[in-house]
Amino acid sequence: MTLIGMGGLVGFMSGMFGVGGGFLMTPLLIFIGVPPAVAVASEANQIVASSVSGGLAYWQRRAIDIPMGLILMTGGLAGSYSGVQLFKVLRAMGQVDLLISLSYVVFLGVIGALMLRESIQVIIAARRGRPVQARRPGQHSWILRLPFRMRFRRSKLYISVIPPLIIGYFVGTLSAIMGVGGGFIMVPAMIYILRMPTNVVIGTSLFQIIFVTASVTIFHAVENQTVDIVLAALLMIGGVIGAQIGARVGQRLRGEQLRALLALIVLGVGVKLLLDLVNQPDELFSLTRMGVGG
Amino acid sequence: MRALILPCLFACLSLGLPANAAQASEFQNVLVTDVSKDQISIRSNYSGETLLLFGAIDTQPYGEADGVVVVLRGPAQDITLRKKNKQFGIWVNGPAYRLGDLPSFYAVASSRPVAELLPSARRAELGIGADVLKANNLDANADAEREAIEAFLRLKQQANLFAAQSDAVEIIHGKLFRAEINLPAGMPVGAYTTEFFAFKDGTLIGYQIGELPVDIVGAGHILHEAAYNMSLLYGIFGVALAVFMGWAVAIIFRRS
Repeated sequence: MTLIGMGGLVGFMSGMFGVGGGFLMTPLLIFIGVPPAVAVASEANQIVASSVSGGLAYWQRRAIDIPMGLILMTGGLAGSYSGVQLFKVLRAMGQVDLLISLSYVVFLGVIGALMLRESIQVIIAARRGRPVQARRPGQHSWILRLPFRMRFRRSKLYISVIPPLIIGYFVGTLSAIMGVGGGFIMVPAMIYILRMPTNVVIGTSLFQIIFVTASVTIFHAVENQTVDIVLAALLMIGGVIGAQIGARVGQRLRGEQLRALLALIVLGVGVKLLLDLVNQPDELFSLTRMGVGG
Repeated sequence: MRALILPCLFACLSLGLPANAAQASEFQNVLVTDVSKDQISIRSNYSGETLLLFGAIDTQPYGEADGVVVVLRGPAQDITLRKKNKQFGIWVNGPAYRLGDLPSFYAVASSRPVAELLPSARRAELGIGADVLKANNLDANADAEREAIEAFLRLKQQANLFAAQSDAVEIIHGKLFRAEINLPAGMPVGAYTTEFFAFKDGTLIGYQIGELPVDIVGAGHILHEAAYNMSLLYGIFGVALAVFMGWAVAIIFRRS
């Protein structure tokens, strides 16, 4: 019941803010005492469900660049495999919880800070009645002119496949380690580095997230036995219902305040994880069954 | 239920009980024991239960018993115990201890505190009391390792997997006894053993050993088995379920 509720809450937020819930859900599961390794793997399983239901809408609107999605996915599958292998090695050393926490502290801290700064700037500018100028990305065009160029019709691009492969690989690794879809990295990378038009970005991101989180789920199930299908199913039920309600509420709220609120939540979760690492724990010892547990 | 009461010859030998077969069976004849359940079935909503262990003491050979101890022991496990220490300002797992062959679950119910019934050397021989359990590769004299063993016992007690209750056995007229042991929700599965000891003036006068299987049953059993033995299929099933649910939700909410 708690889990359905949590799934609902995070689904509500992800629907309201228009972001994937993985990077909030996994820390929340860890806070209520789910072993971090299980939280990561089961959350990856849940994200498969939420990206399928999200992706279908973009599929019908033909807002997915499938060749681009397949190339990102290829990198992503390789990345998820190496992420799970790294996970397995560190797990045997008893350090995987640390890896998960540190990854979250870094990513939540950086992303929360960037989002907060941007939304505060927009709010201040709006108060002064000045139009906000969209930040133009720097020039990365030499990257896109690397060899193995391919034409992506729906994105109206003719670029090298190397950058999307690398981006896919990087996000796939994060997905395996953190139990996230990685949309929060993928979407900015597609816009600012690959220069994809914004109308296909979210659909293409969701498209490749389906395959990458599916492979993360299967690799974790095989290598670490850390997928808890019952947990994932409860989160799915809560998550999808929450997302539908959240999306409706989100439409009635002002965008920039919403983003500032999300930024504060993201920062708050990051700070809590950091404090858990810095403060002396009540119990210094922990037990693990050899070869099992997490 | 009678099948639970197994010959104890082998167990007696390993426990330092009388090696003489005739004497061992004499010990067995003194006690007739039974358990309120012949197996523990853990369903998905299992929230623990109280197990009743009871029996009769034949007073003919040695007279009435003045102390009874019942031990319920879970399957042995190899455990890694890790201690956190502070590095670069954060707490990370540092030294690891491998604790071999310790019971995953260990509950002692007795009519009096076991330390009053027997000296600790004798308890170590009989395996009575969590404090006398030995990790087979730790040196209890070294400070760090003693701290590790204490941490192991503390963690197990906090998880309700190790328990000692010194008033949980009731002896009636020195002839009948009943013991209660609380089983927690998260108990490990496997083959458990039940052991019954009867004492008179600190001397063992009766002994019985039996088995108690603890298993996950129902849908939980299938998932548990699949997760460990058919992990590829399990992972694919998880993904298929997710795809189906994601698709179903998209359809349902589009209609409404």
